[in-house]
Amino acid sequence: MITGCCPSLSIGLVRMSQMLMAWLLVPALASGELQDLTEAELSEVDGAGIGVVLENFKFSHGTDAPDENGEQARIFRIGGIQSTDGRDVDITVNHLYISGSGSNYGRNLSPVNLGRLVNPYKIDVIDGNTIGVTDKAVLEFAAPALMAAEQGFDCMSPAAVAVSGPCSSRPKTDDYIGERPDIGMQMNVAVGEDRSANINIHAVSAVIDGSYLRLWGDNERRQMVGQFKLNFFSPEVSINACELDGSECGSRILLRDFALQLAIGNELQPVFFDVDATGNFVVEVAAIRRPSPGAIGADGQRASSDPEAWDFYQDYYTNPDYRSNLHIGNLSVGDRDFGAARVEGMLMQHLEIRTRDLAP
Amino acid sequence: MIKTLGRLGRPIAFGACLALTLPSAAELTRLDDESLSAVSGQGGIYLSGDISINEMGGPVENRYFGRCEDTTKKCGARFAYRLKETGGWMVLDDIRGNFAFEGLTLRVRHIDSGFGGDGELFDRDVLELGLPDIVRFNDVRFKIAASNTPRPTDPGFQQTDIFSVQMRGAVIMEGNLLVFPEGNP
Repeated sequence: MITGCCPSLSIGLVRMSQMLMAWLLVPALASGELQDLTEAELSEVDGAGIGVVLENFKFSHGTDAPDENGEQARIFRIGGIQSTDGRDVDITVNHLYISGSGSNYGRNLSPVNLGRLVNPYKIDVIDGNTIGVTDKAVLEFAAPALMAAEQGFDCMSPAAVAVSGPCSSRPKTDDYIGERPDIGMQMNVAVGEDRSANINIHAVSAVIDGSYLRLWGDNERRQMVGQFKLNFFSPEVSINACELDGSECGSRILLRDFALQLAIGNELQPVFFDVDATGNFVVEVAAIRRPSPGAIGADGQRASSDPEAWDFYQDYYTNPDYRSNLHIGNLSVGDRDFGAARVEGMLMQHLEIRTRDLAP
Repeated sequence: MIKTLGRLGRPIAFGACLALTLPSAAELTRLDDESLSAVSGQGGIYLSGDISINEMGGPVENRYFGRCEDTTKKCGARFAYRLKETGGWMVLDDIRGNFAFEGLTLRVRHIDSGFGGDGELFDRDVLELGLPDIVRFNDVRFKIAASNTPRPTDPGFQQTDIFSVQMRGAVIMEGNLLVFPEGNP
């Protein structure tokens, strides 16, 4: 329902419908016959995807402090969540922003480009056979693709120059706003009447190149399945807590050179999405199939095993694309350094997440 | 608003031209790629809008849905989709509110410079959607939920609300959204 729209728009709509009528009438005069496409011809059809770039982009929204009448000009609230003891959890988002680099934790917002014209964000339907999903069309939402090693820019350094790493997005320079945004959220979590301090999370010069979400349908389970890859690089991720009025803040937790490469689901173990009979959301990563008895020899060597089965499991356990990594260059709290942290090569063997309704 | 009418004038003229050609039944001839590539549209569209979704309540009134004044009833729109053939439903529930914007522009733009050197390499046309700088939200709400039946009036209905979002006030949304074909067809 569109209400109260300006008069010019309605004039436009009338003319648009005239145009549409004209378009509909014109082909009626030409006498071309439409013919069926065969399955084989159709399977060869591969349309170009859609590239999306945001130019000079800036986003900001939040919640204002109430005035003397208790009115708030801006509200951004996430609610409907309950704690285990049944109290309502209310997340008030004080500020959510996407800005150019150098925003000083969201204080000075500036524009930024997201995606490059030569390597944009993409929405595409791809041939599953090229990514290991046999005979399926796969819907893909993808961030700018990673480039061959050392062909692009270093993913981390805000001063990265060309030919220094695999990332396509460029950092900000003196004469270009760059493609690496500052992203941050300041929020306040209240459980029942208990309102915590404000919690602030900021990421500086963030890069998500190489991330994607792929969705397709599974014939056997008759279900939507997917594959999710998140790459997140930032030279500085910071978390701190402040008093409700923002007057005083605690020590800042700084994660320097933060790199997350998260892989949930792969072509052998896709993620299944479902809602169960009681109305709860279920996310499941299926376990890898077990080898048939005797397929893998007692000593685990290829020579004593079925070579095909052995190669399958060898590839599954050694393929770096199936594994998740987390690198933190330095963790510091206030003026104390805790050094580097690395979690490497996590492989999801099985995952099942099921929401639970706590309401009585 | 005068500016708005001026820009809209071009598509109107274009529409009128098409309508005039109809009575004379001239034969259509095919344009080759070369002549077609020389055709270039002019101008663009400037839109202002004020969009309400179930601000007072939807058209359905039963034991679950009703007017927004009635606190015992839900008044927002509901959108349910299924992820598995025999499974439950993901729901976007209680969608309501009003948002207004002024100055959303739509045009075709040729890019052959800028973008830190990418413009020269790109050298193509894109569809440019100029974001309106500020979008005013007036109590826009929605809920993400999971439910075992598509309609809340179906027998055995159970639903788990995962979270709800409420937005009010001016949201800063600046920039241009550029859309273009990508990949190798």
